[in-house]
Amino acid sequence: MDRRKKVIAFFRELGFHPDITRFDDRLVAQKLVCLLELKGVDLGYPCSIYVRGPYSPDLTKDLYEFSDEFEHNTTETRLNAREKGTAAQLERIFGLKPILLEVGATYGHYTMREKYSPRQAQTQVKRLKPFYSEAQVALGISKAKEFLFEPTGKDLTELKKETSIWQNASLKSLEH
Amino acid sequence: MQNDVLSILNESQALNAKIFSLVRLKLLASLAVLGPDGATYRELKAALDISDGVLYSNLNVLKDVGYLSSEKITFEGKELELFTITDEGQEEWTRTRIWLCRFLQCGE
Repeated sequence: MDRRKKVIAFFRELGFHPDITRFDDRLVAQKLVCLLELKGVDLGYPCSIYVRGPYSPDLTKDLYEFSDEFEHNTTETRLNAREKGTAAQLERIFGLKPILLEVGATYGHYTMREKYSPRQAQTQVKRLKPFYSEAQVALGISKAKEFLFEPTGKDLTELKKETSIWQNASLKSLEH
Repeated sequence: MQNDVLSILNESQALNAKIFSLVRLKLLASLAVLGPDGATYRELKAALDISDGVLYSNLNVLKDVGYLSSEKITFEGKELELFTITDEGQEEWTRTRIWLCRFLQCGE
């Protein structure tokens, strides 16, 4: 099966009809694919770091070669329930906002692929994307964390422990 | 062996000496992999950590010899300059890579 077909199926699910003559559409296409790959969806377009951040040159080739298929979402491929869930989550968290997708994909790449600490990854994002504001970087990173990192049982226990003091206090205040 | 080295060195005459600067090689290498997608001036500046003066003048040299083209684009309400490698630029980059690899005896 042509690998692009599954990407197109994701784009259709997201309501994204990339016009490859537009720079921002090409950017959104790249970052959506890199985020989905980071999320564990094997689309066959692995991303590496280039001057544009995480990026797949193979995807660029296909976007140009099969531009009509991408723009009109032409594919017979159907996503399974899990993939549809991932697409819905991606849409809810990022939408099709290029800056958030770009920051989020870059942060995700450094933390997950390069195994950078969150602080190191944030520094790399700021180095590669100094033209984005602090607020845009912070929001993009927060979106990446929400999309890519599922809280573990240990995380939830620690969170519960951390918030239980306030929870108990608020419950006590209700007693009065 | 000496003859081989000499023939490799002589082959360099077929290359454009104008691209043999570190900055220009970095720019061609960076843009070749992106193909028609290209990269904006600000992306090149940040990723390659090159000062404005050096970047601007070297981009212009590569444009003048026909290896790069540029266009104005609008992204999120901002006007940016997008640089793309041309077919001639891709060909020259491929020739240069092959020659460098022979010169450095890559893979031997």
